[in-house]
Amino acid sequence: MDQAAILDHEFRIAAYAVTWTIQLGYLAWLGLKWRAQKRNAERLSGKPR
Amino acid sequence: MKKFAVGLYVAVTLALMAWGYYQAIYVAPNDAMQGEIFRIIYYHVPSASVAFLFFAISLVGSIGFLAWRRSRQEWAQIADAWALSGAEVGVVFCTVVLTTGPLWGRRAWGIWWTWDARLTTTLVLWLIYVSYLLLRRFAAGPQMQTLAAVLGIFGALDVPIVYMSNRWWRTQHPAPVFGGDSNSGMDPTMVGALLWNMVAWLAWGLLILGLRYRVERQQQKIAAREAQEALNA
Repeated sequence: MDQAAILDHEFRIAAYAVTWTIQLGYLAWLGLKWRAQKRNAERLSGKPR
Repeated sequence: MKKFAVGLYVAVTLALMAWGYYQAIYVAPNDAMQGEIFRIIYYHVPSASVAFLFFAISLVGSIGFLAWRRSRQEWAQIADAWALSGAEVGVVFCTVVLTTGPLWGRRAWGIWWTWDARLTTTLVLWLIYVSYLLLRRFAAGPQMQTLAAVLGIFGALDVPIVYMSNRWWRTQHPAPVFGGDSNSGMDPTMVGALLWNMVAWLAWGLLILGLRYRVERQQQKIAAREAQEALNA
């Protein structure tokens, strides 16, 4: 494998990794928001957690 | 039944993602000119397509909100929730486009960024929708949703400009692969891999869009109940 092919490989992996980091990061943030909201809804309805 | 349907959809989406990855890495060949770096196309282009679709959903939601805000309150709230969800998930996909693009450009062109029409209009699109989200987050008062809807419509006007930019102007960004001139097109194996990834990313996008919509609707209901409790106090 020449140097250019190694760099191409690393950049391709970086692009795929960045994509998944952004997508899963957003999904995790959404999950946390959902959980906080659920607690808030329970508090409003007077139910115990 | 609903839980089963959602579970099935998640399973199908994950299978599509795995199949798309397999197609992109093990089935599609390396590009003759660009080598392996060309495989970024299988994440970059579907992300752009899904971002455009979700900004279109935001546009429809914004128009719906403006149309129904006085006559049908409940419909207007539903439309507003779709507008916000479309904009937010669209920004996520547009962020993917704006990060994978420079990684590809650095290897293909030798530069991370250039102010050509395609890249600049995409950045402007991203900035408009980030402004939309900041407005939603930090502005308060009864006019906030209306202002956001107007900004959402204004932002969507940039989508066709981004799409047509490399047809209207000479750009560093490559000419269209599909729907371009007679020299455009791809190897059939590459087309197959690209289409599978388009389907996979669309399925993934719809999954998180649905989740975001649900969170927003719940938020609207909590806000309405809090407002009612404040009135009753």
